[in-house]
Amino acid sequence: MTRRPLPRSWFVAAALLPLVLLLAYVALRAGPLAPVEVTVAPVRSSALAPALFGIGTVEARHRHRIGPTLAGRLASVEVDVGDAVARGQVVARLDPLDLDDRIRAAASAIDRLRAERLQAQSRARTARSQADRFETLRQRQLVAEDAAQARREDAAAAEASLAALAAERARLQAELDALRSQRQNLALVSPIDGLVISRLADAGTPLVAGQAALDIMATDGAWVHARFDQATAIGLARGLPAEVTLRSAPGTVLPARVARIEPVADAVTEELLAKIAFEPSLATPPPIGELAQVTVRLAALPATQVIDNASIFHGEGKTGVWRIVDGDLAWTPVELGRTDLDGGVQVLEGLAEGDSVVLHAAGPLRPGGKVTVVDHLAGRQP
Amino acid sequence: MAEAVPGGIVVEGLRKRYGHGDTAVDALRGVDMRVAPGEVVGLVGPSGSGKTTLLKCLGAVIEPTAGRMTIGDRLTYDGRWKIRDLRALRRDLIGFVFQAPYLIPFLDVTDNVALLPMLAGVPNAEARRRALELLDALQVSHRAKAMPSQLSGGEQQRVAIARGLVNRPPVILADEPTAPLDSERALAVIRILNAMAAQFQTAIIVVTHDEKIIPTFRRIYHIRDGVTHEEAGEGRLPPPA
Amino acid sequence: MISLAGRDILHAWGKFVFTGVGLGLLIGVTLTMAGVYRGMVDDARVLLDNSGADLWVVQQDTLGPYAEPSSIADDAWRSVRLLPGVAEAANISYLTMQVAHDGRDFRALVTGIADGGPGTPGWPLRLVAGRHLTRGHYEVVADEASGLSLGDRVRIRRIDYRVVGLTRRMVSSGGDPMLFVAFRDAQQAQFQKDNDALLAQRRRTAQDPAFDRPGAYGLRDAVIASQASSHQANAVLVRVEAGTAPAELAERIRRWTHLGVHDRTQMDAILVGKLIATSSRQIGMFLVILAVVSAAVVAFIIYTLTMGKVREIAVLKLIGTRDRTIAGMILQQAIALGLIGFAVGKIVATFWGPHFPKYVLLLPQDALAGLGAVVVICTLSSLVAIHAALKVDPAEAIGG
Repeated sequence: MTRRPLPRSWFVAAALLPLVLLLAYVALRAGPLAPVEVTVAPVRSSALAPALFGIGTVEARHRHRIGPTLAGRLASVEVDVGDAVARGQVVARLDPLDLDDRIRAAASAIDRLRAERLQAQSRARTARSQADRFETLRQRQLVAEDAAQARREDAAAAEASLAALAAERARLQAELDALRSQRQNLALVSPIDGLVISRLADAGTPLVAGQAALDIMATDGAWVHARFDQATAIGLARGLPAEVTLRSAPGTVLPARVARIEPVADAVTEELLAKIAFEPSLATPPPIGELAQVTVRLAALPATQVIDNASIFHGEGKTGVWRIVDGDLAWTPVELGRTDLDGGVQVLEGLAEGDSVVLHAAGPLRPGGKVTVVDHLAGRQP
Repeated sequence: MAEAVPGGIVVEGLRKRYGHGDTAVDALRGVDMRVAPGEVVGLVGPSGSGKTTLLKCLGAVIEPTAGRMTIGDRLTYDGRWKIRDLRALRRDLIGFVFQAPYLIPFLDVTDNVALLPMLAGVPNAEARRRALELLDALQVSHRAKAMPSQLSGGEQQRVAIARGLVNRPPVILADEPTAPLDSERALAVIRILNAMAAQFQTAIIVVTHDEKIIPTFRRIYHIRDGVTHEEAGEGRLPPPA
Repeated sequence: MISLAGRDILHAWGKFVFTGVGLGLLIGVTLTMAGVYRGMVDDARVLLDNSGADLWVVQQDTLGPYAEPSSIADDAWRSVRLLPGVAEAANISYLTMQVAHDGRDFRALVTGIADGGPGTPGWPLRLVAGRHLTRGHYEVVADEASGLSLGDRVRIRRIDYRVVGLTRRMVSSGGDPMLFVAFRDAQQAQFQKDNDALLAQRRRTAQDPAFDRPGAYGLRDAVIASQASSHQANAVLVRVEAGTAPAELAERIRRWTHLGVHDRTQMDAILVGKLIATSSRQIGMFLVILAVVSAAVVAFIIYTLTMGKVREIAVLKLIGTRDRTIAGMILQQAIALGLIGFAVGKIVATFWGPHFPKYVLLLPQDALAGLGAVVVICTLSSLVAIHAALKVDPAEAIGG
C-alpha cells in the first residue's frame, strides 16, 4: 500500500487558519475591547526656569507734538517724516499773517495816546494854575470858598485823567511788546534730538492754538507696550531681562528689559501692562504700532519634581496624573506649582522622583483599565 | 463473510393504477415474479410496458395499488406497506445499480460505497472495511482513494455495483446497467453481477433491452401491458476474453 | 457517519471559498455602513465628552453652542462661577472655518479655550503627542485628523500658529478636526474682519461727521478701535461640584443669569436628535436596505448552490439517506458559508475602516449582531433550499 498523502482536510484547515487568527486579532486588538496605548515619562527633579509670554505693540516713550500756541498759518515745514532733527532745530515756520499789521496798530495806538497825553498835560497845567489863583483870591476874601473848591476839584480831575492816560500807555506798550515777541516765535523748534515720526499738516494749513503740526520722537525712544495675562504673569517685575520678536522679523530676537509695570492694569481683558525697553537701544526704531512678542525670563526656581503638562488630567473634581504601578493605572491627585514655557510643571505634592506617569494616551483612561506602554503612539489605529 | 439474508424476492399479483375513474391507467395488472437468492434474471419489455413502474414498486419508490411483495423473507407489501420507513426499507433490503453510476462526486470511492452502511448506523471504520472488501472483490480497490471523476466509466460502474452490494441486501435492482457500454464491457458487468450474486446469495433483477446481454440470462421475465411472462433464457455467458 | 457537508466543501473548496469571500465583501460593506452610522453618532457624543463639562451655558433660547449660534458676553462666566454648586466655569468659543497649511486649506473647528491650564473645562482631555498650550497666544493643539504634525505652522485668519500638541478623536459633530487655541486668539479670529473690510469700515466712520467734531480730538480713532474688537464668547462650560444635581444647578443658573443652560442629556438630544438626525437617518435607511439586499443575495446563493446538487440529493434519497441528514448537510453548508463570509467581512471592515474620511466605529455588539443575523439568514435561506431539496423525487434517479 502506498503512503497516503495528507488528507485534503489538512490543507483546507491550513488555509482557514490565518482567517481564524486574523479574526481573533481583530476582535481582541482592535476596536473598543483593545487595551489603550500610552507613553510614559518619569517624574524628574529639575529647576524650572519659568518665563512669561506676552504680546504688545511698539510705542514711542515720549511723543513730542510740535505746534503753535496761537492760531496761525503754517508758512513752511522744514522737515519730513523720518528726518533726524537736533535739539533747537527749526522744524516749521508760521506765517506772520496779520501780526505785522497788529504791531503797527499797537504802535499807532501808543502814538495816538501821546497826543492825548499832551492835551491832558496842558489841561492839567491850566487847571492847576487856576486852582492856585483862586486859592490866592480866597485867602484875600475876594472869592467864595466853593468857587475855590470847584477850581481845586477841576485841577484834581485833570491830573487824574493824566495819570489814567499814563497807565493806558503802559498797557498798550505791554501789548506791543507781546506782539513783537510773538513775531519772534514764528519758528517752531524741536525740543529734543530725535526723529520726525509724523507730519500732520503741510505748508498753508491754518492751525488753531495747540494743534500739532509734527510728531517727534527720540531715536532710542521706542519701546514695546506689552500685555500679559494676569493669571500667568507671576513674578513679572521691573528690571527682568526679556526678548522681543517683531512681527516683521520673526527670526530675530532682540534683547530687552522690563522698564516699567503699569500701575493700572486692564480689567476688561484681565491683563497686566508693562513697558519693555530695548537694551541695547536699536539704531533705527521699529515702526510705531508694529506687533511684537515678548518673552520675559524669570530667575530659575529651586529644584522640585517636574512633569510635562501633557501628563495632567482632570478626574473626580481634582487635577492629577495617572501613575503606572505594577503595570496598572493608578489615579493620583497632585498639587501643582509654577510652569515654564516648554510645558514643564512643578509638582509640589503627590509624586516622588522616578514615578512613572502617563504622558500621551490614545484613548480614555479608567482606574484599573488595561494599558499597553509603547515608545510613541503611531498614527490612527483601526 | 456474513451470509446473505435468505429468501430472494417474491412478487404476487402486483397492481398499480394511476389516477381515478374514467381517466385511470392500469400500469401493472397483476405481476408475478420470483427470484431466488443467487439468481440473476432479466426483466425485458418495451417502453410503456410498465417496466419502469414495476421497478419503482419493487424499489419501494412508489406505492402499488394491490398485491404482495416479500423481500428476503420479509413481507414488505400486502395492500399497504408493512414497513413504515421506506427509506430504511430501501437502505436495508434493496440495492440499486443504475444506468449511470450516480456516484456522489464529493466522496471518494471508498466513502461512496461505505456511505450506505454508515447511514445504517455502522461505525465508520467497519463500514469502510466492508466497502474495501467489495471493492477488492470487484477488482477496483486500487482506486479506493480516488474521486469518482478520476475513474473510467467501467471503474465507476463497478464502484456503483459495490455500493449496491455493500449492505448485503437480499435484492439488487439493476436498471439498464449496460446501456452505455460496449459489448466487452457490458459482458464484464454481467459477469460481475453473476459472481456477486453467487458470492453473496443476492437475487438480482436486471432491467434491460440491451441485446448484447439478454442471452446471458437463464430466466427472463417479459413484461407487456402490465403483465409478466416468464421465459427460459439462453444462459450463455461467455468467459472473459 | 461522515460529514456530507464537510466532504462537499472539501471537494469544491475553491468555489466555496470564492463564494465566501464574495459574501464576505458584501457583509463587510454592511458592517462598515453600520460603523459609519455609529461613527456619526460617536462624533457627536465625543464632542460632548471632550468638552469636559456637565452644563453648557449659552445665549437664552438658543440650542447652542453646537447646533445654533450662541453669543454671550465674555465676562458672563464670572457671574456663573460665583453661584453655589459650580466647581469650575470657563469661556469657550467655537468657529468652523477654513485654515491654511502648506498650500492647502482644510475645514477645522477652531476652539478657543480659557486660561487655566490642563484640566480646565474645554481643554483637550488627553494628548497623543507634544504638550498643552503654555503661551497665551499663537500656539495651537491640533487633532490628528487635520494631518498636521508637531512644529507645523497653521494660518488662521492673519496669524500663524505653531502646533505644539496633537490629540486623537477630538472632532466636531461633523467630523472636522478641532484646533485648540487661546480664547483671546479665537475671539480675534472669530470677529476679526479682513483688511479690506476694515479699511472700508474706517472710511465710513471717518466720513461720519458725528465723529469728527473739532472739540473732541481722538473720538473718531476711539470709535474705529472699538469696532475692531470683540468681547463675546459662544458658551460657558460648567463643571458641577460633587453632590450637586446638574439639573438643579442648571435651573439656578437660568434664574440668576437669564442665560440658557443645557445639561448633558439635553445636549445629547440636541446633537443626536437634531443636529445629526437627518444624516444619521439617511445612513440608517441605507444600512437597512443594504442588510436586506445582503440577506437576499446570501439566500439566493445558498439556494443556487443547493439546486445545483439536485441529482446527488435524489441519489442520496434513493439509496436511503434520511431527510434529516440531507437537510443537515444543506444547513451546515449554508452556515459554514455564512461564517466564512462573516469572518472575511469583519476582517476587511476592520482594515479598511480607518481609511474612510470620517470615523468608522465598529462595535463588538454590532459584530455579534451581524454574526447572529448572518447565521439566521443562512438558516432561513437554507430552509427554502431544503424544502426544495426534499421535494426532489428519488424516482428521478431511476430513468423513465
